[in-house]
Amino acid sequence: MSTDTDADAREQLIDLAEKFYDQFDEGNVPTMEIPTRTKSNIEYDEDKNVWVYGDRESTRTAKTISGAEKLLKATYTIDFLARQLDEDRSSTLRELYYLSESWDLDEAQFNNQDESNNLIEDLEIVSEVKREDFHMRPEESGAKVMGPLRIREQTNRGDREIHCQDDVGQGGYQIPNNPDTIEFLDNDAEFVLCVETGGMRDRLVENSFDDEYDALVVHLGGQPARATRRITKRLHDELDLPVTVFADGDPWSYRIYGSVSYGSIKSAHLSEYLATPEAQFIGIQPEDIVEYDLPTDPLSDSDINALESELEDPRFQTDYWEEQIELQLDIGKKSEQQSLASYGLDFVTDTYLPERLDEMGVL
Amino acid sequence: MTSHQSQLGGGEGIAEELAESQRSISIAEFFEKNKHMLGFDSGARGLVTAVKEAVDNALDACEEAGIAPDIYVEIQEAGDYYRLIVEDNGPGITREQIPKVFGKLLYGSRFHKRVQNRGQQGIGISAAVLYSQLTSGKPAKITSRTKNGVDAEYFELIIDTDTNEPEIDVEETTTWERPHGTRIELEMEANMRARSQLHDYIKHTAVVNPHARIELREPSEHMKYERVTDQLPEETEEIRPHPHGVELGTLIKMLEATDSYSVSGFLQGEFTRVGGKTADSVIDNFRDRHYGREMSWSPPKSHEPVDVARALDAAVANKGADATAEFADRVDDALDGYDRVAHHEFADLADDVAEDIEEKYDVTFGSTVRENAVEAGWNAVIGADDGDGDGQEHDHLRSDLYAIVDDVTTTQKDDATVQGIADRLAPKFGDADDTRHRFTRDEIREFVRRAAEATEEYDDATFGETARENVVEAVWNAAERAPDDPPNVTEIGDDRDTSSQLLEAMRETDIISPPTDCLAPINAELIEQGLRKEYDAEFYAASTRDASVHGGDPFIVEAGLAYGGDIETEGKAEVMRFANRVPLVYQRGACATTDVVKNINWRNYNLDQPGGSGIPDGEVVIMVHIASTNVPFTSESKDAVANVPELESEIELAMREAARELKSFLKKRRSMQQRREKQDKLATILPEMAEKLTQVTDDGDLDIDDTLARIMNNVLVERERDGDTVRLVIENNSDRSADVEVTDIVAGSEPTLANGDASVVEMDGEWFVKWSTSVSSGDEATLEYDVGEDADFEISIEGLEDERLTINA
Repeated sequence: MSTDTDADAREQLIDLAEKFYDQFDEGNVPTMEIPTRTKSNIEYDEDKNVWVYGDRESTRTAKTISGAEKLLKATYTIDFLARQLDEDRSSTLRELYYLSESWDLDEAQFNNQDESNNLIEDLEIVSEVKREDFHMRPEESGAKVMGPLRIREQTNRGDREIHCQDDVGQGGYQIPNNPDTIEFLDNDAEFVLCVETGGMRDRLVENSFDDEYDALVVHLGGQPARATRRITKRLHDELDLPVTVFADGDPWSYRIYGSVSYGSIKSAHLSEYLATPEAQFIGIQPEDIVEYDLPTDPLSDSDINALESELEDPRFQTDYWEEQIELQLDIGKKSEQQSLASYGLDFVTDTYLPERLDEMGVL
Repeated sequence: MTSHQSQLGGGEGIAEELAESQRSISIAEFFEKNKHMLGFDSGARGLVTAVKEAVDNALDACEEAGIAPDIYVEIQEAGDYYRLIVEDNGPGITREQIPKVFGKLLYGSRFHKRVQNRGQQGIGISAAVLYSQLTSGKPAKITSRTKNGVDAEYFELIIDTDTNEPEIDVEETTTWERPHGTRIELEMEANMRARSQLHDYIKHTAVVNPHARIELREPSEHMKYERVTDQLPEETEEIRPHPHGVELGTLIKMLEATDSYSVSGFLQGEFTRVGGKTADSVIDNFRDRHYGREMSWSPPKSHEPVDVARALDAAVANKGADATAEFADRVDDALDGYDRVAHHEFADLADDVAEDIEEKYDVTFGSTVRENAVEAGWNAVIGADDGDGDGQEHDHLRSDLYAIVDDVTTTQKDDATVQGIADRLAPKFGDADDTRHRFTRDEIREFVRRAAEATEEYDDATFGETARENVVEAVWNAAERAPDDPPNVTEIGDDRDTSSQLLEAMRETDIISPPTDCLAPINAELIEQGLRKEYDAEFYAASTRDASVHGGDPFIVEAGLAYGGDIETEGKAEVMRFANRVPLVYQRGACATTDVVKNINWRNYNLDQPGGSGIPDGEVVIMVHIASTNVPFTSESKDAVANVPELESEIELAMREAARELKSFLKKRRSMQQRREKQDKLATILPEMAEKLTQVTDDGDLDIDDTLARIMNNVLVERERDGDTVRLVIENNSDRSADVEVTDIVAGSEPTLANGDASVVEMDGEWFVKWSTSVSSGDEATLEYDVGEDADFEISIEGLEDERLTINA
């Protein structure tokens, strides 16, 4: 399946190797400049409407032993990726980590998987090629979609047409690692509902929420994988569907919403491709905790720290979030999605979601 | 009181009874009973002490004669005893002196001298003679030949312990191969259990006496220490005592013995570092202590209800109205010229005016008249009887004192407290018996204390130590030094208190340190040489402090360190202690030197020190040398230096000085090591990276030396060839300038120089192209020459550590 994208990706990688080669050849010290990947170095891109890296850069330089090792690993990885593209094969991030064990030089091997994951992200940034185009797959699978949507997926075994309600089981349609292999055919959907927990997704499906409200229920499963975020963005951009996020009422869930809507700090170079800035947060809002008098747990110290850190996060600096977070710090409580069950199993589908979606103007 | 004293009411005749058994003890007999005090407490120790006494003597004798010492020590087993032989190449001893030097305890010239020598360390060689005769019963055998003597003198003698006189068994002349020198042979009960101390003593002696050649032959070992310098220790001068160093008893003795009449003459004549100016300062301080100072007061202002003129006028009778009036007015006027006036100043002033008046009016102001006038006038000045009838006494003194106290009191004290102190101080002066207001500083301090305590008690104020001392200081400064001449030497010497005042004054006065030509430090350079000689180490450091004073005796502390190399890495560091070039081998734990070593945080100097205190661990040797005219020891056996603060602080400073050098060495070594490690690591990583890059990019082979040199901030030397032309490019990537000496050995073809500043030398068919240059940071320099194409090269670069150099040529 060697394509133009593959040739392009290979070209970009070789260019990077050429750059190191030239640096050596001129007697200079090989270096690689990478945007600093921290909260303080992301800024809002007004044109593209997403958060991207700012101007601050850190330098990987062969001047230090650790820098030289990073560049050595980068070189070995470029070699590996270039060959992988040549041979039209693919591998997972975890496989890359184990594969490095077979490299003859100890110094080139990765010490842990974070190191190899980070390096792939570095190469994505520097070469401006997505890892999917390097044929690197993540370990975790993409999310499941349930709702009135018909798609065509290119698989190794040929194209398949699938209706995400009629052709799938209770579990829904499994999104492939590279959702760009999917083509949307037709749909009756009104909106996209991203759900944090599996339990809540199952509840909605069991109560036929997708059917009743023509919702595309996307299961996020904690921090959403790239594929999940990508498909969400495509559903929004290509089908013009409003996107909503339904998560727990605690700081960690706000970050899940954040990564759907604003993109993550680690992958800010891909925000344009992954983030859905128009996504709206349904709840559980701190306001809901008060309004619906939901069962709560007290905020732990780490919750409070996380909330305070969110107040300083440029992505959360909107009136809405400041108000909600301050309210939560004020009441010192958090609630889970499932806490709605305190009013009965149907409360969430019959009352809470319709009320919230109405308020938000989605319904 | 001892039991020898008869007690009142006790049994009669006890004193008489006791008296029969009381007799003077000869010094020799004393020694016999107190061997331990002098370092002869056991057979093992006795042998070491005997060697020490003999060797110290020998070294001193040689140095005094300006001879480079050559000392031979031999210990033989002789039946039940050990035989000790010590030979030197000193000036020899005359026939008359030999019995006294070896056969009389405490005979010698060194003990009383304020000069640095080894001899003061021990009781002397005669103690070893006595020890040997007491344990083996054998006489000491002495051979000595003086420089001009044809034959040598030979004696066998013992000491008569009753009389402390030599008893000569044999006296004859003999032949001896040494041109001059002395040999002593002693037999004694001993053992070699203290072999390691003996070896330490000899080895350490060699370290601090690099000018001496020392040989030790004992039953199981033979050690030789060669001379490394011909430079003898500088000859030392005897000095007079330093004023900061004498004690009261000594001072009184000196006062009695001096020929001087005046204190000034005494101070200048008997002490070192005292000239006219210093003597004056001491005398001023002495007068302050002896006489006190006179408090001065501001003259009354016109608005105050006292009238000095009227008081004077009233006190002078029968001198004519005009003369009296003018006298009174002029004194009064003259007072206006004073900010503050003390009693004696006022008296002088009145005297001056009286003289003038006598001349002008032809009247006589006799002493009684003057005294009356001064008394009345002074009383007016201090407002003794202000007559304002307000019931408040000493108004004037109070306001004067208020100003003084207020000036030195912090603003936190409220006005009432200041006023309270002034009010209570004023009567102390005003009601004093001494109307001249002459007080010592201690008396003033007492006034202030009482005033402060009363104020605290009655006014519920606080007036602490610092505040009180500030007031004392201010009042003392306002007081004037008494004009009286100091007492003369005899008067001072006769009175213990006065002598003590003089001593305090001497100690209080800043006086420059005693001259140091009475001291012979080894000096840092020779310490290093000495250490180098005995320890094959990687690094040496030494320091010599400036002279300091303790108790009037100047001293110099020196320290040395040797690190790494062949020095034992296991266990604690070796600490060598020396006093006047004599090794101290016993009582290490009781010595101030050891204490200081233990209290230094050696971790600061990159040495291991478990627990952060104690003797450091590892491959280091520490030495400390104290040179002094009088080293303070803890005891008579002189094994340990006493904990004198001045000495300890100098020891610490000397050690820290040397340790700082060690630290920078270790730091540099560490950074060089890191640099080497980094270089090694990068030398594996980067070539692999380069190889991988050539695979990935399909480009030609890479040369990464330039990159490496740049990364290591190294100096890169590269050869470029262009036909017949050879270019050696030196590129300095480091952050400091590099002075390099390039030698390019060319074989096969003769080079022709293009650079003017290089040179070519031919040797055995090879040409040495030599070039010295300095390349500043970031620059490069090029040596260019022409040579045939078939030439071979071999380059070497001097002037830079290998770690800082990359040669690609």
